[in-house]
Amino acid sequence: MTGTVQVPTWVSRVTKHHLFWPVVALVALWIACGIVSPGFLDVKIVDGHLFGQLVDITRNSVTFLLLALGMCLVIATGGIDLSVGAVMAISLSVALTYIDNSGTGEQAGTALIAIALALAVAALVGAFNGFLVSGLGIQPFIATMIILVAGRGIALAFTGGQITTTHSAPFKSIGSGFVLGIPTPVVIGAVVFAAVAFSVRKTALGMLVESIGINRTASHMAGVRSRNITWLVYVICGLLAGLAGLVYGAPTMAADANNIGQLMELNAIMAVVIGGTKLDGGKFSLAGTIVGALILTTLDRAVIIFHLPSESKDLFKAIVVIAICIAGSERLRESVGLRRVPRLPEPPASRKSVEVAA
Amino acid sequence: MTAQTVSEKLPTKKTPTVQTSQWWRRLTDRRYLPTVGTVATLILLLVVGQLRYSTDDRSFISARLFSNLFIDNSYLLVLAIGMTFVIISGGIDLSVGGVVALTGLVVAKLLEGGAPLPLVLVLGVLVGTTIGTLIGVMVQYFKIQPFIASLAGLFLARGLANMIGTTAIGIKDEGFASLASWKIKFGEKPDIWYVNLSMIIALVVLLAAVYLLHYTRFGRTVYGLGAGDNGQAAGLMGLRPGATKMWVYVISGTCAGIGGLLFAFYTKSGYNLSGVGMELDAIASVVIGGALLSGGVGYVLGTFAGVTVYGLILTICNREGLEIWWNRILIGVILLGFVLLQRVLVAKRR
Repeated sequence: MTGTVQVPTWVSRVTKHHLFWPVVALVALWIACGIVSPGFLDVKIVDGHLFGQLVDITRNSVTFLLLALGMCLVIATGGIDLSVGAVMAISLSVALTYIDNSGTGEQAGTALIAIALALAVAALVGAFNGFLVSGLGIQPFIATMIILVAGRGIALAFTGGQITTTHSAPFKSIGSGFVLGIPTPVVIGAVVFAAVAFSVRKTALGMLVESIGINRTASHMAGVRSRNITWLVYVICGLLAGLAGLVYGAPTMAADANNIGQLMELNAIMAVVIGGTKLDGGKFSLAGTIVGALILTTLDRAVIIFHLPSESKDLFKAIVVIAICIAGSERLRESVGLRRVPRLPEPPASRKSVEVAA
Repeated sequence: MTAQTVSEKLPTKKTPTVQTSQWWRRLTDRRYLPTVGTVATLILLLVVGQLRYSTDDRSFISARLFSNLFIDNSYLLVLAIGMTFVIISGGIDLSVGGVVALTGLVVAKLLEGGAPLPLVLVLGVLVGTTIGTLIGVMVQYFKIQPFIASLAGLFLARGLANMIGTTAIGIKDEGFASLASWKIKFGEKPDIWYVNLSMIIALVVLLAAVYLLHYTRFGRTVYGLGAGDNGQAAGLMGLRPGATKMWVYVISGTCAGIGGLLFAFYTKSGYNLSGVGMELDAIASVVIGGALLSGGVGYVLGTFAGVTVYGLILTICNREGLEIWWNRILIGVILLGFVLLQRVLVAKRR
């Protein structure tokens, strides 16, 4: 008898988990790709390095993941950061311009200084965003839009309007190298994810961030230093966006300030939303961002595998986003009966009565 | 300052100076201040331009300047007007740049296939309306945040545009070309200026928007939605916030369709990569025009001033011979200035 009761609860617990639909979508995509292209799911070891489509997808997803991790924290505080694409362009421009001017690009020291400089500039931009948002209390959307508008101009000013190309083996390796057989970007992504997850979930930081997103005033009154934490979150987001720019641009070693990171802010936000974090702020899911980043990268790859014209990528993304959003929407859950029982005295009730009145 | 104006006003209540003091009060009313700031910036830019670029025989401020300005920016004006509705309602529409590209390509492709011109023009606008309706349904019916819903609309429009073609398609249709190059000439030889079809369409859209937003029940509801309580107050007033919330996206989409048409007039081609980032230009113009992104505050004519400021900055950058990236940086700086101004005003209100 208990068995008959437990089975439905187990099923409903899985189906009601916030990552259920995204993971289903990801697995379905992988299986579909595997059916069309039989070698898709294979992972081989060649010369001690991991190779395979899935490894490629994981490697490419790191850019999205880095952006989405920072974005996830910003969104959790109830904000948004539109500047990440521009920050990617700025950080790569700074790093490559420095390497190009130094003339000693092949030395590891030069590459390290370039990386440090780029990350410092990225963090500075993040601090500027944070200052506007938490210091001056400007809406995050518009505050970060300033860098979105001006950032590419700043990056172009660094490169002098040119596409800076240069050579530096140590710098290039952060994008295309291997560490113990694993692609370096994946290692970077894993380390950053672990660091963020640890500092957010093993300290009070995550809870404080969520409390700011749920109710800034209340958390402030409860003694949370909401200003400093909001500021910190934007700095982290800028820093990670800078790192993403380096990882993204390192394999080609070309700083095309006009095009690098174009639309990346939207992709990053999409990865976060697909991962089950609501744009309203509050509760966030770091694991969800991994799933979101993987889904976006898999979509890019799936277009090639299905022999679709590469132009249909955006259409594909649109359909997936619409499908996931509608699948997760209250309205559909209500009609299918999947809706969670609200624990609080239901706030949507008042909204509903207004609709009736209207 | 308010105290002063009040004390001034009371004793002079029945004297003729009442009118001027009311005027002054209106000007310094906080609700109008962002727009007043926009107009002040506009005047400042014009004065700077006049001082720097006027020669003995030709003045910078001329009908020619404004004629060129609106020949270059009429499509942006139409986009920004649609965006004004959405922003005042407290939402955002990121899809307009994609819709511009899609409309241009649909028009180019249909004309290439030999479809009749009037039908093509109507279909071009309906493309925008359709995408707008889709976003509206997602926002209103499925309760998806406007940001994400319109983001999906952006990818949808751009994806469809990519599917139609990835190369620029020139529009060679004679009827279309004659519409695009139709203009009325004014003035004499050194100071010739024109009014073209795009400017007239933009003006009609502007007037229609002013009427719709400021003189109808629908417009009231749009402002009511921007109060941030999900339209509850508007609903209690007997307005229909639900339907209105959807309609603002339909309006914005339709405006984007019209804007796409004007952009096709302007470039005489359709291209899947045109209009990248145009949604930001439109949002920036609306914000420069004095609307608050949190909703509830803003004017169609403010947006008009915002687009003019935007166009003037580009003109001045061009005259100065600045490198192209300075455009973006300067617009960013101006945007920052306006955001700070708005911040100060909001802080005062509390």
